[in-house]
Amino acid sequence: MLGRLFRTVTFGLAALALVGGCGSPTAKYRRYETYVRKMELGTGNDKFRLSGPNLSSVDEVVTALYGTPDEPALPALDEVEVAQVLDLAKLKLAAGPVGSDEQGNVRGLYREHCAHCHGITGDGWGPTAAFLNPYPRDYRPGKFKFKSTPVGYRPTHDDLKKILLEGIPGTAMPSFKLLPDLEVEALVHYVKYLSIRGETERTLLEMLMAGEELTKDTRLVTVDVSTPELKTRQQDELAAVKDRVSTVVKRWQSAPEAVVAIPARDSMTAEQLDESRRRGRDLFYGAIANCVKCHGDSALGDGTLTDYDDWAGEFIGKGPDQQQLIKVFVAAGLPEPRNIKPRNLRQGVFRGGLRPVDIYWRIKNGIEGTPMPAATMKPEGDASAKGLTPTDLWDIVNYVESLPFESISDPFQAVPAIPRERL
Amino acid sequence: MGRFWSLLFLLVPILGVGCFVWAMAGLWPMRGHWLPEDVSSHGHVIDGLFMFILYLTGIIFVATGLVFFWFLWKYDAAQNAEPVRFMHGSHTLEVVWSIIPAGTLVFIAIYQMDAWADAKLRRPMLPGPDGKLNTADDIPKPPIAEITGRQFEWRIRYAGEDGIVGTRDDVQLVNDLRLPINEEVVLSIKSQDVLHSFFLPNLRVKQDVVPGMKQFVWFKAQKTGVYDIVCAELCGWGHYKMRGRLTLQNRSDFDRWLGQAHAAQNQAEFTPASGEAE
Repeated sequence: MLGRLFRTVTFGLAALALVGGCGSPTAKYRRYETYVRKMELGTGNDKFRLSGPNLSSVDEVVTALYGTPDEPALPALDEVEVAQVLDLAKLKLAAGPVGSDEQGNVRGLYREHCAHCHGITGDGWGPTAAFLNPYPRDYRPGKFKFKSTPVGYRPTHDDLKKILLEGIPGTAMPSFKLLPDLEVEALVHYVKYLSIRGETERTLLEMLMAGEELTKDTRLVTVDVSTPELKTRQQDELAAVKDRVSTVVKRWQSAPEAVVAIPARDSMTAEQLDESRRRGRDLFYGAIANCVKCHGDSALGDGTLTDYDDWAGEFIGKGPDQQQLIKVFVAAGLPEPRNIKPRNLRQGVFRGGLRPVDIYWRIKNGIEGTPMPAATMKPEGDASAKGLTPTDLWDIVNYVESLPFESISDPFQAVPAIPRERL
Repeated sequence: MGRFWSLLFLLVPILGVGCFVWAMAGLWPMRGHWLPEDVSSHGHVIDGLFMFILYLTGIIFVATGLVFFWFLWKYDAAQNAEPVRFMHGSHTLEVVWSIIPAGTLVFIAIYQMDAWADAKLRRPMLPGPDGKLNTADDIPKPPIAEITGRQFEWRIRYAGEDGIVGTRDDVQLVNDLRLPINEEVVLSIKSQDVLHSFFLPNLRVKQDVVPGMKQFVWFKAQKTGVYDIVCAELCGWGHYKMRGRLTLQNRSDFDRWLGQAHAAQNQAEFTPASGEAE
């Protein structure tokens, strides 16, 4: 009798496990734990922790604005037309589980092509991320390296699209050139969406911290509207949230206005080109451009090897407590920080593209999130001012372009004339 | 009941052959399941070898299937009242069925040698300093492009005008290979990370690539069009999408396109479409 009951229960549990175990759990966005930790430490009190209600109130607002990984949504804002930046129809192609809908349109492009490395949340921490060097990009701070706009500005749609089409040589990012244009477009929109969502989460956490008298029960937006005062308060808080979101979206919307024009490079004879490279070389080693400081005496990228990029640096800083902070933030989910390497310019691998305009942009604009600074510019012909002219920049570009083809850059050419005899 | 099973066994050779015939005929739902279109000059040799081995193994497959069927049919327990007799084996039979397959394998090994040499050893040559082909100073034809496989894309580096890969006038692209038709084309193949295999199904070319080694493949394409480049060696999670596009063009179209790609790569001026210029 007891045995029979036992068997029934066991079979029942096994059947439940079979039914329940099939299919993966619904994808969820991960909370921005590292930024939460940063906010907590920002209070100056090591023991301070944001409470569950504090944090879930932010989560709820972010979800209300942007939906879920399966059902993305766009915030409705008065000040700015979000649809100009993000196309909801395209987002839906990229969102959701991999597959296709009833009409045979593809779905879940982001999870098929990107989420392995960049993560469902776009936090650069997908399942394969730990094995990659450099780490995949964390979109949430809204910072991207290879773009036509200066540091501090968002990349344009075309900047991101170029990365998807061409890939990034020297990193694990492959090219998606052969995907249909609609699918690439959908992915670009989705990357922007995750980025804007992440930036919103950051700014809302900041807003929560900025509020007066933060207690365990403080909510980003009041839920209880039983009295007229509370109702007004909720309205004000919602307006403040929308204001912050508008600021985030506007930065993306205005990116095309910040694209940096590049004056044409003069066409040169071979002698003029040699002369230009020599000038570029002098600037490379000179005090104003001072490329040598990081890229090293022989441009092998061995000048400064102790820096971190902003994706780690914004948390761990540069202070004496850096090692301690690394422990704290790694525990909160930060990828184990690695020192950022200045580019070895002798390999001929240019991550942001090898067109002269790409290299010019890198030098003129700097590279967002890295120690590569923007060039200080001065007008042509002003010898007294400190800075670089467009001609100077082209000289540096010409020099940099020539580095991979110097004989010492080529291991085959650099083989000693008389090889060592076998012992 | 016993003979039912022997008939079931008879279905193995029948259905097996049927599948192949169906696929060769290209009937629904096996359309496009036979060999892809061959646009190379040497492909018929590879296909010939493939068909030769297929027919050979096909005959053996059918014969073995029929023998199995015949034994099952003849010695069905329900039809045979005689007791089972054991025999210890036949030395002659064993010698025969060892020598015939061995001889067949040796034949295949010798028969395919010329095709192997054409594909792997006899690289197209150019006349050397004496200006004459087929003399001792001939030089191997240099590759028109170097292709580097990496997880999960094919990076392409055209030799450019000087014909040397690794110089300033190289044109660097990804996943989009274009080649001229009606001439011997040599490609050098490398890998940056793990094992890949560079496979051009329509040109009957397949070459495994090992990191640290440089391989050469050569072929002559005979028809313009757009074809696939695929990776034929499991190289990681993205192996299935490590695809490239091969576009075969006339020499003049190819030269024009390469010129445009070179110009695009040397873009040295940028005017924003919108917004203020600085």
